[in-house]
Parts: sequence; C-alpha cells; structure tokens
Amino acid sequence: MPEVSKMKKPDVKVVLLGDMNVGKTSLLHRYTERKFKDTISTVGGAFFLKQWGPYNISIWDTAGREQFHGLGSMYCRGAAAVILTYDVTNWQSLAELEERFLSLTDTANHDCIYAVVGNKADLTDPKAQLSQVSDMASEDRSDYEESIEPQVLSACPTPPASPASLSGITLHKQVTLEDAVALYGRILRYKGLEEKSSLPAEKMCFETSAKTGYNVDTLFEALFDLVLPSILRKRNENQESPTVDLEECRGGSSNKRARSACC
Amino acid sequence: MERDNHQEGEAQGVKICDLPRESNPPADALATSLSLLGSHMFPDPVERNNSITVNKEEPADSLPDGTAEEESLDAEPHSNQVTELETEDTESTECQNNVSTQPSDMGTEDAATDNDRSDSGEFVVTMLAKAKLEEQGIGVKGRSSPLLEAGTQEIPAFMSHRDEDVTADSWRQHRKHVFVLSEAGKPIYSRYGSEEALSSTMGVMMALVSFVQSGDNIIRSVYSDGHTVVFLQKGPLVLVCVSSSRQTEQQLRGELLYVYYQIISMLTQASISRIFEHKKNYDLRRLLAGSEKILDGLLNLVDSDPSFLLAAVHCLPIASSLRDALSQILQKAITPNLVFSILIAKNQLLTIVQEKTVIEDTRLEPADVHLLLNLIGASSAFQAGEIWTPICLPLFNPDCYFYAYISYLDPPECTVCLLLLSTDKEAFYAVAECKKKIEEAMMAQNALSLIAKVQSYSVSQVGVSDLRHFMYKPFDVPDNYRQLTQFTSPEMEAPYSSEEEKMRLLDLYRYMHSRIHSTSRPLKLIYHVAERETLLAWVTSKFELYTCFSPLVTKSCAITAITKLLRWIKKEEDRLFIRYPPKYSTTPNPSKSSRGGKSDQQDSTDNGFLSLL
Ligand SMILES: Nc1nc2c(ncn2[C@@H]2O[C@H](COP(=O)(O)OP(=O)(O)OP(=O)(O)O)[C@@H](O)[C@H]2O)c(=O)[nH]1
Ligand SMILES: [Mg+2]
Repeated sequence: MPEVSKMKKPDVKVVLLGDMNVGKTSLLHRYTERKFKDTISTVGGAFFLKQWGPYNISIWDTAGREQFHGLGSMYCRGAAAVILTYDVTNWQSLAELEERFLSLTDTANHDCIYAVVGNKADLTDPKAQLSQVSDMASEDRSDYEESIEPQVLSACPTPPASPASLSGITLHKQVTLEDAVALYGRILRYKGLEEKSSLPAEKMCFETSAKTGYNVDTLFEALFDLVLPSILRKRNENQESPTVDLEECRGGSSNKRARSACC
Repeated sequence: MERDNHQEGEAQGVKICDLPRESNPPADALATSLSLLGSHMFPDPVERNNSITVNKEEPADSLPDGTAEEESLDAEPHSNQVTELETEDTESTECQNNVSTQPSDMGTEDAATDNDRSDSGEFVVTMLAKAKLEEQGIGVKGRSSPLLEAGTQEIPAFMSHRDEDVTADSWRQHRKHVFVLSEAGKPIYSRYGSEEALSSTMGVMMALVSFVQSGDNIIRSVYSDGHTVVFLQKGPLVLVCVSSSRQTEQQLRGELLYVYYQIISMLTQASISRIFEHKKNYDLRRLLAGSEKILDGLLNLVDSDPSFLLAAVHCLPIASSLRDALSQILQKAITPNLVFSILIAKNQLLTIVQEKTVIEDTRLEPADVHLLLNLIGASSAFQAGEIWTPICLPLFNPDCYFYAYISYLDPPECTVCLLLLSTDKEAFYAVAECKKKIEEAMMAQNALSLIAKVQSYSVSQVGVSDLRHFMYKPFDVPDNYRQLTQFTSPEMEAPYSSEEEKMRLLDLYRYMHSRIHSTSRPLKLIYHVAERETLLAWVTSKFELYTCFSPLVTKSCAITAITKLLRWIKKEEDRLFIRYPPKYSTTPNPSKSSRGGKSDQQDSTDNGFLSLL
C-alpha cells in the first residue's frame, strides 16, 4: 500500500495535450507503469504525482475530446512544461495542436517549456518497433513511487508482439520530424519568444512509441530535467526554512545521477 | 432459432399491423415501406395524445391460450401460466403465454415461437435488411454477400463491436440494438457496428420518424415478428431500440431514456440544444467521439443489472457501525462547494453524504447515481491517477455541470472508489485535499481492510429452503422524502450461476415487472408458475418485492416464505440499506444557501462548447 501520508505538495506541473487518440494516456502509462495496455478515452483530466528525486512532479493527462475543451486552460494554469502530442500517422492531429490546443497554454507559466511529440512511431519507423527497454539503472527505480509493485519492477515493458506482425503494419508516415520542428518554431513565435534564447527544436521535438517504449523515458526525463530550474525558482520564492536549501542540494545531485544513468 | 423465419430473402415482406402481406423487391423497400406505413397511419390518428403507435395490441394480452391453473406444472414445456391472485382492476384469473421464458437468443426454448404473431408488421426488420443490402456497396466494401453467409458465427473476441460487419447475420441477431441519430438523420451512435457503416440504416429510420412527424404525429413503436422497435425523440436527438428481448415498449423506452441521460451527463441538455440551434447539421459524433465505450458499458449494465429496471440503487450490505463510521469520515472532509461525497466498493454504494441545502432542496435520483457508477466503471481503465471531469446529473439538473473528482483508495486493486462532486470547476486541489483527509482517516480506522471483507449476502441466510432469489425495494425507509430509493438483493447463486441463467432470471423479473407496472392493467400480486421456477411479485404501498422459488413450492409455502423473508429483511434493515441520509454543510453563509441547490452552479457555457462553433 502506498504511503499516502508522505504525499507532498507538487513542485511543478507538466501537462499532456493533444487530440483524442494520439496516445497521451498510453505514453504516460508506458512511462509510469512500464506497460502498454488498452485504454479508454480519457474523461476530463487525470492527475498523477510522480516522484523525481526529491521533487514531486504533477502530471495532467488531459482528454483530447472536444467535449472537454473548456477545461484545458484550467489544467494548463501554472504549467512548467507542456507536451503537445500528435500521431505521426495522422496529419490532422498535428494541425489540431495549433488550432485547438496551443491557445490553451496561455495560462501556463511565462517560462513554460514546450515539447512536440509524435507518437505511434512504431507504425512508421522500423527503429521504433524495437522495444527500448529503459536502461535506467535499478538504483533509480526506487525513486518512482509507482514502481513499488514487484511485477512492475520486473520490467517486462513490452508486450510480446512478434516482429513479423510489427513490421507487417508499417503505415504511411504523415508527419515528419521536420513538420514538428516547423510547428515548434511557430509555437515560439506565438509565445513571442526568441528562437536563440529558447530551447532548440531538435531538443524539444520527439518521436515516440508508447507501444514499444521507444523514446518514452527519454522524453519524460529530458523534460523533468529541463523543468528543474523552474522547481528551484519556485522553492526559492517561498524560501523560508533552511531545509529547503538542503533538499535542493540533495535534489541536484540525485538528479544528476538519474540523468547520467539514462543517457 | 426463432429469427430464422425472417432471415435472408424472406425478410422482404413488409407488413404493418393488419395490412395484407405484401412482398416487395428489395430496391423499393423504403418507398413501399413508407407509403404502407403512411397509408396505415394517416386515416386513423390515434388518441394517445397526438402520438401514433404502430403496433398491434400488447402481444401478451392478446393471446389467451389455455386454462388458468397456476399450479399445473405444465405438460407443455413452453406455455407457462400466470395467475393473478389479487388484483385491483382485474378480478378474473387469466392465463397467458409467458413471454419471458422464451427469449430466442438463449437457445433454451426456441421451439416456442408464437405463430399467432406472424401477421404483425415486419416492417423494421425488412427495413433494416434492405438498408443493409444497400450498404454493401457503401459502408463495407469488399466483403462477400452478407445474406449468403451463414451468419451465425460468433464475433471474434479481439474484435470490438465497433468493427462488426453490419452486413453479417450475426449483427442482426443481437438481442438488442440501440441507435442514436440527430434530427437531420446523422448517425451518432450504434451499439453494434460503426455508425458510418450504418448511415443508410439510420437514414431509413430518420425518414420514418420525419415522415410520421410531417403528419403531426410521433412514431413510438413498431412491432414485428419477434422484434420490437421503439423510438424516443428527445430534443434534437432520436433514439431507436430494436429488440428481440421481449421486453415491453415501456421498459425499452425507459432504457433509451437512460442512454439519453448518459449523453446529457456528458454534454448537458443546454449545450446540445444550443449546438443544434447554431448548426442543424452538426455532427454530434465529434463531441461524443470517445464516449462510445461509456454508452456500451451503460447498455451492458442495463441488460445485466436490475438496478435500472427497479430505478433504485443497490448498496453493499455492511454493519451499520462501519457505514456510520465511513459517513462520518466523509462528513469531516469538506471544502466549499462540495455537494456530494460518495464511497463505492465493488461498484456498489457504501455511503453517500449530501450537502444540506441540496438534500433539502432536491432528492438525488437513482438514475443519476447509476450514470455516475457507469461513468466510473467505464473510465477507470487507468486507475492510478485522480480524475477531474465535468459531469452533469441530468435528473438533478440537465443544464449544468458538476465537477467530479474520482480516485481509487486501494491501488492497485482499485475496488474502493471515492467520488466527490463540487460545483466549482477550479476546486480540484481543494477537493484532492479532502481525499487525502479521507484516506488518512480510513487508514487510521483500518477501514479499507474492513471494506475488503464486505461481501454481498447469500439467500441461504434468510433460511427459507425454497427461496432462490429475491429483489426487495422498500418505500418506507426512514426520512423517505430525502432518501435515495434503494433495493436489496442477494447474490445470484445456483442454478443462476451462468450468464445465460442469470439473464433468464432477469428476463423473468422483467416480465413480472412489466405486469406489475402495466399501464393498462397494473397488478398488485402475481404468482407465476414457470417451467423451472415459480415467481411471486408483490407490490404494496410499503414495498415492491420480486421472489423466485424452486418450481416445487406450493402457493401457501411461498406465502409463508415471503412472511419470513419480510421479517428477515426488517431485522437486517440496518445492514442492507443506507438508513439515514448523512449530510454536511459546505455553504458557510446560511443566507447564501437559501438560494437553493441548483441556482448557483456553474453554467454549462463555462465548458466552452460554444467556442467550437
Ligand atoms: N501503434 C501504436 N498505438 C498506440 C500508441 N500509443 C497509443 N496507441 C493506441 O492509440 C489509441 C489511443 O490511445 P490513448 O492513449 O487512449 O490516446 P489519448 O491521447 O489518451 O486519447 P484521449 O484520452 O481520448 O485524449 C489506443 O488504441 C492505443 O492503443 C503507439 O505508440 N503505437
Ligand atoms: Mg487519454
């Protein structure tokens, strides 16, 4: 049973946005539970708390359905990172990001970072069909409160899909990485940000597969590392007790460890 | 199987009511059907306030076929007998063909087709068959001719109902189809098969609806051989049920209403009307896309859970001390604008605490609770998180949203679920804080492990040997006015262990229910000797009771048994029901609260639908 009493206030907020069916829930599920399983279209939004070193990162998995559009800006309020997700086999899903979802991020932090993520890469890209078992060292696993269950720990993250069936269903790729990079540029412009002073597109555009696990850990861990400054700033803002500093030091070092382990 | 007689080419006869049988080539089926329907309907506008019923009289009432001897354990296996012992408006004993023991899809008593009905309209069956012929070229290309295939094979398990071949016979043999379409004839939902593939079928349905409408009439139902087609028009939506389940029109319409309410619970009535006001042709599927599984889940529940039939909630039997303790935990974890706190285990209610002004103002309807429970069941695939979603309780107020916080308290098992409803869209963190308090208090009292031990009860606890099962719905729970209508029922045990047998028992109950609640001739007491069991249904001003006995029970035994059962329920009342509805006050300013429960809720416009238009 999880230790509820230890739950802390979240330090930072990450939001998953994108059209229905692009695989937001699957991505998060792959990352936290190391599994790919059947999903049901999300209603409203679902809130998750993720322990990242000493930090508590809250993640909002939102519904892509138009029906819940009105809540998007509420989920985004004060976000430090927004993951704009599309489906690489569906051009419209990329277009929707600009048409429907970008404006929701107006309530996010002014220094919010944006990732553009093309999911379902396994359908178009042979290299994404191979499962990418996270090579995170086992020492880091204890950092994840979701990983308490032994069967989760035993990390068999990929369903035993036969390679034949996988390679048999290569679909037409409708969105290239360049399209995503171009969108990233337009996002910066929309936000009135200088390209030079912002995070480079090649660092912020990902192609993933929730099904095989391809790039999923890379995505979340890169983002968590990038929001660290935001966490530190937030902690400094309500700096009252010296313990904050102590925690910060520990956090910094443990995080370095996590980072080096996964790269 | 019974449906055999209108499979394949035979389905061409268009028969409406007592018109002479006619055959039509498939191509002009629609035109002919409509004109036939029209010519039948227009001459005689029916009394039932401006509505037309395309049906012959209640099939059940028109088939006197035997003698009234309630205890004659029939030589003829499929003609069962019903005897009403006491009735208010009928004093004569009568005997009827028992509709409910021969549902064709159970394969148990398939010989029992009543040929008496062969002259009834086959209209919609034909209509559907024709529509599908047309669809061969449209919806599902590249498939072999549906009507030539031996269509009885089961749908493979990995295939969702959505991918079903709507041209296959297996599609037509589903016990109950449900379709939702817009007034403009746009398909919105189909229980089996994709809406796209069915667009021409739905087009035909809509043509039918509008055609009748153009004569200032409303189509309500069509009876055909073995099928009942029921229409329900609600605002800009048309809901259609095609059923071979032998349920009454009234029951089927009630089920369609649940479907409508579930749609409202996701969108609100106000926003649906507004959307269609702006754009007559709006494709509501865009807003409902992704909700199919919620509607699928609802329809499965409606078929398998008697709560819907009884319009009452089933709460889990627990010691009243534990229930009180849980209520108190909920009562202490409050935040402004919180209106309902609901604790659920194994999909049944443990307790429900309501805001004081709300409870004083309105009564929470069982249907709203059913919709909530279904939503939770259907959306809990990913159970680790805390869900925050707008939800409308259509019977409470169809035009505005609550915000529901849903979280499981016992991951990873996820059987105990907390549901907190607030009127404040922004209250997520405050409400999540309440959950934390509740979780801590429950941990301190070891409540979770106590809940885990809770089980539904066995009918053997009643101690009446011939009693196999019952459903008891009291009207006299204390504080009735504000109480949620509840019922209690033991586990279904042998011989009702298999899905088929459970369904068969439920069908018997549905039949008894339809007799008790018949609009034309309601009954107070029915003693029904069926082939494999004997049922007794009884309604008084204090309760409604359905009991199922072994077939060997005598009438006097059954009556004694019921006396015992009622005594047992009285004794166990505290455990079986939520007795006193607990409440809290989250509106600190009493003058404010006098506004009433509804007026201060968020308007649906807040959810931003209009921005889409
Ligand atoms: N092949 C493949 N399928 C995927 C992948 N990710 C998700 N899917 C499938 O895509 C469908 C939708 O996935 P979800 O994770 O529910 O999508 P979502 O973005 O959360 O959708 P909403 O909650 O409705 O907004 C499911 O059937 C998944 O199995 C992927 O990486 N590869
Ligand atoms: Mg989702």
